[in-house]
Amino acid sequence: MGTAGAGPRPPASEYAASQGNVLGRMTALTLMTPVRRQWLWFLRLGFRLAPYSPLRDHIIQFNFIKYVRWVLVDGLDGEDLKYPYLHFESNFDGPWEHYIDAFAYVIATDIRLTWGRGPDFPHPPPAEPLKDWIAANSLDGGTYYCAHAEHSTRDLQNALAVRDAFLDFRARAASLGPDEFKAAWQQFLTDEQSRL
Amino acid sequence: MSNENGTAYALTTYARVETGHEDALDAYLAALPTGAGSPFARLDGVHLARVQVFRRLVHQRPHQRPDRLRHAHLVVSTTFNGGLDEHLDALAEHVPECDEWWGHCVRYPGREDRAAFAAYVRSIQRRTSLFWTPFPTATGDDVRTSIALRAQVIEFAAATQHLDADELHRRFLHAF
Repeated sequence: MGTAGAGPRPPASEYAASQGNVLGRMTALTLMTPVRRQWLWFLRLGFRLAPYSPLRDHIIQFNFIKYVRWVLVDGLDGEDLKYPYLHFESNFDGPWEHYIDAFAYVIATDIRLTWGRGPDFPHPPPAEPLKDWIAANSLDGGTYYCAHAEHSTRDLQNALAVRDAFLDFRARAASLGPDEFKAAWQQFLTDEQSRL
Repeated sequence: MSNENGTAYALTTYARVETGHEDALDAYLAALPTGAGSPFARLDGVHLARVQVFRRLVHQRPHQRPDRLRHAHLVVSTTFNGGLDEHLDALAEHVPECDEWWGHCVRYPGREDRAAFAAYVRSIQRRTSLFWTPFPTATGDDVRTSIALRAQVIEFAAATQHLDADELHRRFLHAF
């Protein structure tokens, strides 16, 4: 059933990957969690400054994330909510349980500064309470689509980089003689070996 | 950085579901084809999409005052490269399923009047606070052609590794 928080959830370790958020190698994780109103300004400012702060590099290091968004939701149609909410959607390779240890220990401060603006957040580390919190707050159900679900984030990054390098190489290749071409081709393969 | 990062765009919408329509909407979404059969597969520019219903907010006990929803809400999020206007046009033209999921929501005008459709989606759109991707300018076509090209390069390299310079050069110019 496509409901958020409809009944108790199993522990993260037993959480099935069949909740309408898994396709091929991809998983979507959507969270909708409350923010204490007195911290709303802090998150607004933080998100605005994030592209110019260490948070940007902290996100970039996780090369399994394809797209990630944060949306502050201050009110819903027809509702009288006591809290604003933070909508978080991440799309990444594989089940999220594999990465929570990295999140909990490597970017614990970023996580605490963001989701810790809400009540009863299990400030990591350790990782286990965070896993249970994510499992409890994950919005499941519905339908999920990814145009490149069978390719990992790293696959896509490598393919795009190889394309750029190859187009440069091909432009040069036409003007090379056979011997020069062979040397250049071998150099190209050496340079791109890790991405092929 | 907000809805856009490079040429990538993150659309997030929240729509109130008509009372009594929740189960039908849930059932409809759960039965939609996925992968190549997904309605979103008809749109070249779309990388990701998620359509889901939520009926209640998770209570973060014990220090949160409970927030109880009066209605269910439909969340539609898409990630694509290009402009929002073009994306909404494409949705209206190629995704009649919009009438099914948003048709269960209040004030949905349908797709016939494109301007009304676009105005509706914009009215339920939430501004993205932060949006990040490692490939902000890669279109769906870029991704497809890059994956195919890399496979072709690998195949060519494997097939030509023992050729002399003249034959290698000739085959390369022919292949690429």
